[in-house]
Amino acid sequence: MIGIESLATRSFRVITALVLVTWLVLPMIPLAIWSFARGWYFPNLLPTQWSLAAWEYALSDTAGILDSLLLSIGISFAAMMLAILIGVPAGRALGLYKFRGKEYIELLILAPTIVPGIAVVLGVHSVFIWLGLTNTVPGVILVHLIPTLPYMTLVMAGIFSNYDPSFEEQARSLGASGIKTFWYVTLPAILPGIIVGGMFAFLVSWSQYILTLVIGGGRVITLPLLLFNFATSGRNDITGAIAMIYILPGILILLFTARHLTGRSGIGGIGQI
Amino acid sequence: MKKLSFWALISSSLALSPMAIADVSDGSAVIGKPWSEVVDLARGGEVNWFLWGGSDNINRYVSEYIGGILKDRYDIKLNRVGLSDTVEGVNIVLGEKENGLNDNGSVDMIWINGENFRTMKQGNLAFCGYLDTLPNNVLVDWTNPAISNDFGVPVDGCEVPWSKAQFSFTYDSARTENPPRSIAELIDWIKANPGLFTYSAPPDFTGSVFVRHVFYFAAGGVENLLGDFDQAKFDDAAAKTWAILNDIEPFLWREGKTYPNDINALDQLFANSEVNLTFNYQPSRVGLNIQNGTFPPTTFGYGLSDGTIGNTNYTIIPYNSPHKAAALVLQNVLLSGEAQHQKALADVWGVAPAIEISRTSEEVQANFAKVEVHPNAAPAAELAKAALPELQAAWITAIEKGWLANVGSN
Repeated sequence: MIGIESLATRSFRVITALVLVTWLVLPMIPLAIWSFARGWYFPNLLPTQWSLAAWEYALSDTAGILDSLLLSIGISFAAMMLAILIGVPAGRALGLYKFRGKEYIELLILAPTIVPGIAVVLGVHSVFIWLGLTNTVPGVILVHLIPTLPYMTLVMAGIFSNYDPSFEEQARSLGASGIKTFWYVTLPAILPGIIVGGMFAFLVSWSQYILTLVIGGGRVITLPLLLFNFATSGRNDITGAIAMIYILPGILILLFTARHLTGRSGIGGIGQI
Repeated sequence: MKKLSFWALISSSLALSPMAIADVSDGSAVIGKPWSEVVDLARGGEVNWFLWGGSDNINRYVSEYIGGILKDRYDIKLNRVGLSDTVEGVNIVLGEKENGLNDNGSVDMIWINGENFRTMKQGNLAFCGYLDTLPNNVLVDWTNPAISNDFGVPVDGCEVPWSKAQFSFTYDSARTENPPRSIAELIDWIKANPGLFTYSAPPDFTGSVFVRHVFYFAAGGVENLLGDFDQAKFDDAAAKTWAILNDIEPFLWREGKTYPNDINALDQLFANSEVNLTFNYQPSRVGLNIQNGTFPPTTFGYGLSDGTIGNTNYTIIPYNSPHKAAALVLQNVLLSGEAQHQKALADVWGVAPAIEISRTSEEVQANFAKVEVHPNAAPAAELAKAALPELQAAWITAIEKGWLANVGSN
């Protein structure tokens, strides 16, 4: 009986994994083909002519893709670190404590995920002009915190709602300092959440378009800005080439953090608030 | 390593933003000044040009050819900022004005025309009145109403023409032998070939131009429609236009239940053989799309016997540009005979010049005489013989709204 059950569970897991991989990889295949195609017409299953022209453009100085790749990595990495710094304490407060108006705070934190960036970008623009932060990389990093913080905070709130702070008290009563307690007790328990939340933060920052364009004022050119230029103009070949470069960090991060996404590690994975 | 280069990027961007260069935001410092003084002000500086960035040909021409001239001859750094939609650039200037950022804006120049120009002019967002300072302004024929009016709005010295464009149709000779050569023929052709035609839904720029061709046809010609908006004339022509468009709707692609969103979607339908005709406001797009493989080599562009609509596109300098001298130098380079000739070459861009070729040097004239457009594209000179003017923006808005209410929502 047990053997059959575990077989069923295992095959279910394998099938789910296959479906997920197909779901993620399949849409990438036409893009990859397009990036090497010179014309690809219905009803041909494959392009009749192949070309490196799209890649030649994508890797040229004129396109500026490689500079933008580096800059985008820097911006998203910094936005992720800031989101972790702010999101961990905020998530702890939301996950561990009950206080008056908590639901309103949660709603406020969720708001940026509900309100589209394009609706608020002009207002954000005037605040940033007033702060003197427009057209700068720090300004773009800061504005990326608006859409990234909700994910970080909510993931951490979920982690902390399953977290028992009495472990910390035990450590303290045994003589550990505050820093030692955090390092040896708190951090190992919440690390999976930090990794998952940080990955969300990185990817959300990675995909920002209108906030980057307006706050960066054309001085801060990230990859999505270049990608959307071609995606909206119907140039599937160059879009495909840029997209291949664009998805690299996402795939690397996914591979790197995949074992933390199963929910089997840490203290019960991502729970409810 | 990653971190190091990241902080290097941040510090370099911090160092860039407050950099004090010789250039000016004060327009009176350049207007009417001898050209050599303007060039001296601009030398060693930078200029941020915001323009639609969806074509590698145009990007290469701007960054490599124009950027190279600015770097080599004037030591000016050209920063090409690609936009997906020109209105994004206009909105940045608008936001800056609303917040009192009047002398240190982010945008030094925008490639513009039509609705966006009207927004900039009406909102006092444009730097005006400097055209005579540009030595190459003499190459522009400002007496030509198609140049001195941008979609019916007088230019009034607020922008500089860059290129001319004219609407043309596109067909694939492998699929269609005799494409319809007038709006009347097109209507019959659509009914005889159900499902093989559609147009991008207004307010898509190009779809809107197509509907205006039908509007001109329904009105019995464009002559009556020029000038300010006239409700009575509009109602008369509009009623006929909606009747024609609703009449052909069941014969359109997917029985007209849906329309492609924009011209790129229509081009995709054409490339995939779902429809047999497409159109564009840029006749050279046919050649470019054949070269880059989007369209098969049997594709041809053509005009209509009753004429197609043409316009001019321009470059504009925002009132709060902090690099006005460099922007002027850039505009002067763009207007020069050699730069206009370069972008007229089929393998560069293949776009029609906005200057009078007869006013350029003999050498440039000789070069222009040798320009060959892509053999499949409708020749600009041929199209220009039957060019129709654009209407003022109020007409265009009324037609777009009327289409949505009377055709698009059915």
